[in-house]
Amino acid sequence: MIPAANCQSNHYNSLQVCLDQPMKTVKEIGIILGLSIGVALAVNYFSPSGIALVGQWATSQGVVTAKGKNDIVIEGIEIGTVDLARKMYASGDYIFVDARSAEDYEKGHIKGALSLPVGQFEDRIAAFLERYPLEVSIVTYCSGRTCEDSHHLAEYLMELGYDKISVFIDGFPGWETEGHPVE
Amino acid sequence: MNKFVKKFLDNRWIELAARWLLGATFIYASYSKILAPAVFAKIIYGYALFPAILINLLAIVLPFVELVAGLALIVGFYPRSAALIINAMLVAFIVSLSINIIRGHEFDCGCFALSTDNPSTFSGPLLIRDLFYLALGGYIFLYRNSRRLCLYSN
Repeated sequence: MIPAANCQSNHYNSLQVCLDQPMKTVKEIGIILGLSIGVALAVNYFSPSGIALVGQWATSQGVVTAKGKNDIVIEGIEIGTVDLARKMYASGDYIFVDARSAEDYEKGHIKGALSLPVGQFEDRIAAFLERYPLEVSIVTYCSGRTCEDSHHLAEYLMELGYDKISVFIDGFPGWETEGHPVE
Repeated sequence: MNKFVKKFLDNRWIELAARWLLGATFIYASYSKILAPAVFAKIIYGYALFPAILINLLAIVLPFVELVAGLALIVGFYPRSAALIINAMLVAFIVSLSINIIRGHEFDCGCFALSTDNPSTFSGPLLIRDLFYLALGGYIFLYRNSRRLCLYSN
């Protein structure tokens, strides 16, 4: 511990000290900020929950994400346009699964879609597994490109063994805007 | 200034209490952001105020500035400069909150509990709270007596 003398005031008040010794204040701020930035970058580099230095924040490019090391957004399984989703829907080969909350689902969802809220996955998955074999093709969706729930749901389903999964990234708002069937 | 108020503000225990309160608040505020930088980055994105290239850097660095400046206040390491940094952050928070209140933009405040479930947090009380912290920071900066339990000051 440095002696308390270091903390004694002088005859000026703090503002005057700061104004009289601007370089001293700048130096102190530099030390605190430099330490913060150094520790921040080091922790981010080594932490399993660290993120990239630049994220993906353009909705035109897909679902927005900080691109973390434990990121669940997999671009390869994304359905990039509403038209493509509509074609898959019309083929009848895909089960559409709504990842949003039960309340949102009640307010409106893609016609024929099942509700499997990410937050209640564990409660509801047993019934889903019973009804749908692992071979079915699934399309998950949520509320658009700023929402990751559909990717979370896709990840959970993949962990159970479902491997034909796509994520419709424009979600319910995109579908509804294009005037496709809802209920 | 009222003599009683002046005596109160010059009290070394009051200064210590203010420094510890503000420091602890910022350490607490940094905790969940440090644990989940991706969630914090998304909240910054939700403010719709910052260029995409800066969002992740802010999410990585800002919580550690809060943590280090908060620790500096508590142990009394350059307390004036730490208070200046914290006040600069508070001004930035207040401006960001105000802009979004004025333009009616809803977002998660991202202050303590990082939750993306409830994006429509009412911002008014947060603004008042930040103004209170700003006053505390100003007091710590302008305090002119010697400081208690202070590691390294001017």
